[in-house]
Amino acid sequence: MAVTTRKPPKTWSLLGEVRRRPSVYEATAAKFNYHFRREPAPFEMDPTAAINQWYLEHREGSPFNVEDWEGFRDPAKLTYSDYVSTQHDRETYLDLLIDHHEAAGSIAKLDKAWVDTLTALLVPLRFPLHVLQMTGLYVAQMAPSAFIINCSNFQAADEMRRIQRLAYLTRLLANEHGDTIAATDTAREPWQSGEAWQPLREVSERMLGVYDWGEAFVLLDLLLKPALDSVVNDSLASLAVANGDEFLALMLSEFQRDTARHQAWATALVQYAVEQDPALVDVIRGWMASWEPLVDAAVAGLADLFEAAAVPLSAADVREAAAQARERVLSAAIQ
Amino acid sequence: MPALPRSEWYDLTRDMNWDLTYVTEDQAFPPALSNSFGVPAEDWWTWDEPYKIAYTEYVHNQAGKDQGLFSVNNVVSRSSIFENLDPGWKAAILAHYGAIAVAEYQASIGEARMARFGRAAAWRNMATYGTLDEMRHGQLQTYFPYQALNKEPRLDWAHKAYHTNEWGIIAARHVFDDMFTANDAVSTAIQLTFTFETGFTNLQFLGMAADAMKVGDLDFGALISSIQTDEARHAQQGEPTLKVLVKAGKTDTAQNLLDKMFWRAWKLFSLLTGLSMDYYTPIEHRTHSFKEFMEEFINKQFIDQFRDFGLEKPWYWDQLLNEMNWVHHAYHLGVYFWRPTVWWNPVAGTGPEERAWLEEKYPGWNDSFGKYWDVMGDNVRAGRPELTLPETFPIVCNSCQIPVCTPAGYAAGYLDSPLPYQLVRDGRKYTFCSEPCQWVFEQTPEQFAGHLSIIDRLLGGIIQPPTIEGALAYMGLSPEECGVDGNDYAWATATASKTA
Repeated sequence: MAVTTRKPPKTWSLLGEVRRRPSVYEATAAKFNYHFRREPAPFEMDPTAAINQWYLEHREGSPFNVEDWEGFRDPAKLTYSDYVSTQHDRETYLDLLIDHHEAAGSIAKLDKAWVDTLTALLVPLRFPLHVLQMTGLYVAQMAPSAFIINCSNFQAADEMRRIQRLAYLTRLLANEHGDTIAATDTAREPWQSGEAWQPLREVSERMLGVYDWGEAFVLLDLLLKPALDSVVNDSLASLAVANGDEFLALMLSEFQRDTARHQAWATALVQYAVEQDPALVDVIRGWMASWEPLVDAAVAGLADLFEAAAVPLSAADVREAAAQARERVLSAAIQ
Repeated sequence: MPALPRSEWYDLTRDMNWDLTYVTEDQAFPPALSNSFGVPAEDWWTWDEPYKIAYTEYVHNQAGKDQGLFSVNNVVSRSSIFENLDPGWKAAILAHYGAIAVAEYQASIGEARMARFGRAAAWRNMATYGTLDEMRHGQLQTYFPYQALNKEPRLDWAHKAYHTNEWGIIAARHVFDDMFTANDAVSTAIQLTFTFETGFTNLQFLGMAADAMKVGDLDFGALISSIQTDEARHAQQGEPTLKVLVKAGKTDTAQNLLDKMFWRAWKLFSLLTGLSMDYYTPIEHRTHSFKEFMEEFINKQFIDQFRDFGLEKPWYWDQLLNEMNWVHHAYHLGVYFWRPTVWWNPVAGTGPEERAWLEEKYPGWNDSFGKYWDVMGDNVRAGRPELTLPETFPIVCNSCQIPVCTPAGYAAGYLDSPLPYQLVRDGRKYTFCSEPCQWVFEQTPEQFAGHLSIIDRLLGGIIQPPTIEGALAYMGLSPEECGVDGNDYAWATATASKTA
């Protein structure tokens, strides 16, 4: 155990002798996750207690592990305070965007065909986006260092942000074009039994059953989320532009800023891990290969809905865009 | 501002509940992380939080709060306010930072568990805010001491404490892991948010915030008041969870969860807050005694709250009322006597005026606890302060992990026997400080049985050498860090001058 010296210390003793005083971002995260690889067990209870075993199996025992996770840094280096201050600004922007379109009566001007497309394609999205939120929070609670935990928690909060703004939009649509648009069943029925949505629901539910923290991270951040973010933030925005809905297109492109930040930390984490242990590439690729067919099917299911719009986007284009988005993340992560 | 009020659209962010068909309920919500206690999935969907907030309101509010707080800290860190704080108050905030800062960050893991494994979308959203809140509290309560590290190297414990095996930290980890870091989502809602945050956090945060302002510690006062505003919001996850359990006929389950954690929280807070309020806070700045705080916040306000939900006082209520008279006085004696084993410098808080105050708040204190201080004072005045220091170890409770103080309770006339409680299970003997501590252990022995207390480790040869020095090293305390009398024994001479 480090010893406190009489001379004023530069930083926490556990960070050792440092030349440069660590930043606030580092000082409020480094070595916070004291229970990772703690002996005789992560938590101060019977080492054989179920939750100790859970962490030993799914965190310490994950194939996605390196000797030292403490060296990873979020490229955005966000503290909580930075995060809320950044999002405070971005939410102010969205508030203004909504103000503008509410004043312009944009929602009332949408034609019925486009409203039908939105009802089929946009309204149920809050269910799968909520699964992205849930899984982000699983990855966070299982991650081996606070630097990783923080990124995944912020990401999950961003998912909630997107859901809430889409819910607001859904309510606006309902007020102008029929109250049933905002009924729970209008979203839940397709999610629960609509043909287009079942492949996405399948991979989402199966993802909720993935407990190895590394596999959950890879499935969420390298596969399903890049694909779904492409469908929502990118293809749906294009579809909105084509159908004269500038409001939705601008709102979705705002969420792409969050997505860019999510992809930046996820790829940085993979780069960091692979640098420590090149053999992890095979671990990651193995997980990706086993999940890719389900993710592809999920995208394909939604892609068909794009063809039903008055000014359609071909399903092939939607699938291609999602595949490319995934490929971009993967190639940035594993060079 | 967007035209629609939150109430018109917010429900659309709370209804993402559906029937799982590709995986089973247990596969998506495994009992180890989300114990349904047999309540059907759809019953959980009725979960309704009493206080709602949108993400946009959250970030607007929180950004403003942080901005205000950092301004205060910025001004205070350039002043000499910290250097001029009373030594007793410094002891209180050093103890607080070590025991609480990183633990609050761990509470973000407990919140994230509810945000993933809570059994309704509305609950998972509330817990998502809670996750962010607890990250905030962990970061703020390390940032503030980090800024003052050059003024007080012991503030290093705000960061390192949970990496050590210091005995108080073992006790804190033992209860906090049980409460949130290593608890399932449903139990966490009852035990962390309802029992602990609605009940006990008030004690430490509201009570100490009031004291901080009186002492002139603007930094600490602003910090913990700001934290408490978040706690008051996310603590409200407990009530709807409790309602679902009660409605499903699981009142006994809820009562059991509450009873276990209420006792555990009491033990930790009598150690942390009891000492801070009745001994460390300078007497002229004390608002109430610890017992008065307990009576007001816990025994009146909190009891009313859980009675409203059909729960009863825990079965051990009389024993709680009994301990409120004496147990933290015994802990204070122990912490002072074994002061090299803590990371702060305990003050005795037993000068003539303080003793008069203690006698007034706890009639009989002079005859019961005062007499030990008489002996220590005599030794100090005789130039033998080493006699006020330990050469042996206390016995530690296998439940709360705090030294067993039954002999002091017995000597003070509050217990019928000085003996601890003991239990033999699978050939191992366990020792407990009280009947409720043994009861807590026996509720879920699979969770506790294989755990070793610090004394088990000493006797089992894990701590080497098995001496005071060996134990201090095991606890992560360097010679410079071991606690010493915070007032350099001024209390003892103050007594002498008064009685001379």
